[in-house]
Amino acid sequence: MKTQINSVRTIGNVGKVLSIAGAVSLGLSAMAQAETFRIGITQNNVGVDSYQTTYEQAFEEAAAEADNVEAVVLDAGGDVARQISQVRDLIQQQVDVIIIWPTDGQAVVPAIKGAVDKGIPVVVTNSNIAEAGQPLIASFSGPNNIQQGAYAAEMMCDQLGGKGQIVQITGKPGYTTAVERQKGFEDRLPEVCPNVTILDTQPGDWNREKSQRTMEGFLTRYDSIDGVYAADDNMGVGALNAAKAAGRADDIVFIGATNFAVGYEAMARGEYHGSVYQSPAEDARNALKTAIAVAQGQKVEKLSYFDTPKITPENMDEFEKPVF
Amino acid sequence: MKAWVESLKSGLPGKDVSPLQFFGKHGISVAFVVCVVVFSLASSKFLSADNFFTVVMQASIIGTIALGVTFVVIGGNLDLSVGSLLSFSTVLVVDLHDKVDPGMAIVLMFLFTLLIGAVNGYLIGYLRLNSLIVTLGMLSAIQGITLVYTGGKNVDIADQENTWFAFFGREELFGIPVPALLFITLGIILQIVLVKTGFGRKIFAIGGNGTAALFSGLRRNRLVFSTYLLSAFTTGCAALILGSRVMGSQNNVGEGYELLVLAGVILGGTSLLGGSGSIVRTIIGVLILALIQNGLLLLGYPYYTQWLVTWGVIIVAVWLDIAAKRGKLLSTY
Repeated sequence: MKTQINSVRTIGNVGKVLSIAGAVSLGLSAMAQAETFRIGITQNNVGVDSYQTTYEQAFEEAAAEADNVEAVVLDAGGDVARQISQVRDLIQQQVDVIIIWPTDGQAVVPAIKGAVDKGIPVVVTNSNIAEAGQPLIASFSGPNNIQQGAYAAEMMCDQLGGKGQIVQITGKPGYTTAVERQKGFEDRLPEVCPNVTILDTQPGDWNREKSQRTMEGFLTRYDSIDGVYAADDNMGVGALNAAKAAGRADDIVFIGATNFAVGYEAMARGEYHGSVYQSPAEDARNALKTAIAVAQGQKVEKLSYFDTPKITPENMDEFEKPVF
Repeated sequence: MKAWVESLKSGLPGKDVSPLQFFGKHGISVAFVVCVVVFSLASSKFLSADNFFTVVMQASIIGTIALGVTFVVIGGNLDLSVGSLLSFSTVLVVDLHDKVDPGMAIVLMFLFTLLIGAVNGYLIGYLRLNSLIVTLGMLSAIQGITLVYTGGKNVDIADQENTWFAFFGREELFGIPVPALLFITLGIILQIVLVKTGFGRKIFAIGGNGTAALFSGLRRNRLVFSTYLLSAFTTGCAALILGSRVMGSQNNVGEGYELLVLAGVILGGTSLLGGSGSIVRTIIGVLILALIQNGLLLLGYPYYTQWLVTWGVIIVAVWLDIAAKRGKLLSTY
């Protein structure tokens, strides 16, 4: 684009008016063909888990493949203050769109407002921000946790044949992901399986050992447990460990979410019965796609979900073993 | 154990001992009995040998760490790094299990765990830096090391069914789960070390009055150093139990455990200012925390009641402790 303008300028004084007009028209047509968008992303905490590490790699690959994108990739290292200053940096650099993976759904809202006030649209990725920030953002790109909970309820129902008593192990209390998966599960279960009852619900804090302890308590308390729903596979495998130690694993259906490698392997052994496949690469590509659409001025959905399909022993061959 | 029984006898309410003093001295044992009785009456599932061992087993990870930390606290310092040290040690032993072999993995894990304990001990014992700052910094530093080591991935043992590593967390000896056995055995040994050896008495001395101890010719730097080695060692033991029980590890599996450990130690009546405390009482403190968690779960209470009840029990325990020392329940000035 730059060379085109320069070449037009070298025509010199002779047709100055013409040349300027030409430059403008050439420039405009070039922009229409392959306009380059500068997209800045500030991530939550790359390296803290393999999900986020894979996400970053996939994002950079996708940005390199798209010939109309120049990506500025930043990472807040889990630090809210650093993320806020990174948003300011991106505003200074006048990027076309900012993607943010919030370190804190509440604290980043003022920073997002700062960007929007300067005319830079913001896309939130992976985990949504607080209600107060919703009118500000162009779109949220991420997994539909409520849908994931509903999928888990449907798989539980199928595996139990419509009848039974189950327990639920949730994520860390207060986390949006934990709250939404629980809601999705509890709302959907009575619709598909009115004869499946939830005996008890306790948190496992996304921690396999904590979940194992919680399940040991459940096993002592209830003589009959037909199924366990855990809000991720890490906790699901913890519950499986506890049930195996008590010699009761064979009678119990285990359903998780966010398929981890351990869950995938347990499923291959026939000990684990369902999960939800959430690909970090898909998460990253969806965020970039949404941001490009926003930059091009297309109308985008406020909630731009990517697909997180059910994975069961029957269809697990279609999925690669998760990297995390 | 024997010393404890004797001290219990001598402290029974008689004409010389007021009820307040009795509760101040033995409130923790009373609380333990009260917890057991209340939960037994409320839930038919509670009072069974199986459930009892489950509780001790569940307490064993926090409890084993708390044994070493009790020495640190009696010596007048704190150790907040044990939570992330637990994550690091568990990740290490689980990861090396498949890469070298289980025996070597355990040796290497203890080596690196003790090395970190030695760094803490050197900075606090020899350089005389503030233990809160050193171990708080170490908490994040170890978290960083763990993340660099794993690259953010969870680690798992591939063949979980056929490894003798399962002994530490999954098997039973004489009908008792091995984690519970390890915890209690280590507790008895360390209680003897604390009350029957010169080393134990010196730890009390440096925590009670460091300057006086120094003038009496005690090597404070070396003693403080050794308490951190001890807390690293017990954290390594806890990592064995945890790794074997779960057969895998997350990078943050011990996140927040340092506060649970400290809660158990405080509940056991060990003074945060140093100079007083007991391993047996730490064990009871940790068991009470586990009993509350187990009992309330069996009764079907939502999780947050555990937090509230735990908080309440700690406040009452600390209050009784202070009240007994000043001889009345309320402070008049």
